[in-house]
Amino acid sequence: MARDLMFQREIKETVERAYAAIATGGGETVARRHYGDQELAEVPDGAIEWALGVGDPVRYARLQPGQVVLDVGSGGGIDTILAARRVGPQGRAIGLDVLEEMCERGRGHAAQAGVEGWTEFLRGEMEAIPLPDASVEVAISNGVLNLSARKSRALAELFRVLRPGGRICMADLTVEGELPPEVAGDQSAWAG
Amino acid sequence: MAERVFAGKLQRAGFAEVWVGGHRRFGIDQAALYPLFTPELLQVMRRTIPADHQDHVATAVIVKAHKPR
Repeated sequence: MARDLMFQREIKETVERAYAAIATGGGETVARRHYGDQELAEVPDGAIEWALGVGDPVRYARLQPGQVVLDVGSGGGIDTILAARRVGPQGRAIGLDVLEEMCERGRGHAAQAGVEGWTEFLRGEMEAIPLPDASVEVAISNGVLNLSARKSRALAELFRVLRPGGRICMADLTVEGELPPEVAGDQSAWAG
Repeated sequence: MAERVFAGKLQRAGFAEVWVGGHRRFGIDQAALYPLFTPELLQVMRRTIPADHQDHVATAVIVKAHKPR
């Protein structure tokens, strides 16, 4: 058990270090793989530059004006901003990221997008979401759950903060079968 | 994490009507677009993953579910 906890901590620290170290996201090449022209026109260039997701959860989330939406692992804020545009000023978009510098980036990009009035970025972990029970109607994430060493705990937290009838819509990577041990054991693979 | 494991974790957390769709291949060339994949890791991937699997190392999916009322 103690060894498992140490390993979980090692994964968490490795992932946080990796994200803190990068100077940019995947940029327009990554963004264009996942988002349409219309969506990219809705977000500032900086948010596109910091795109690090693996899909477009907002497209599938069927967000409605007035909803409260949580973006877990919000990074530079591209999905938070897209969500904010859809829920509108009667709603609320909340980005959650473990790195304060990512939250700062998200705030800056939200201000450039003009959605800062109903958008906020909270520093926190997906395994301990700093929000009350049943306070969110839709939770989205984009390539983030895979980064958690405690995925069941993160999902339990999402369940807690969702209102009854609330929904999750997540883009992520799945892997069938085993990766070669040299890949699976490489620390930089934990963050990728 | 395999797709069925992902879906199972969601169900165990209490989520209902788990839906997985939007499948897209994710290969080494796609990984190389992300700064989080270091050149060293990409080199290891190209060396150790069989050539006929290098364009499909993982699958990007969309997962939806809801919390019962």
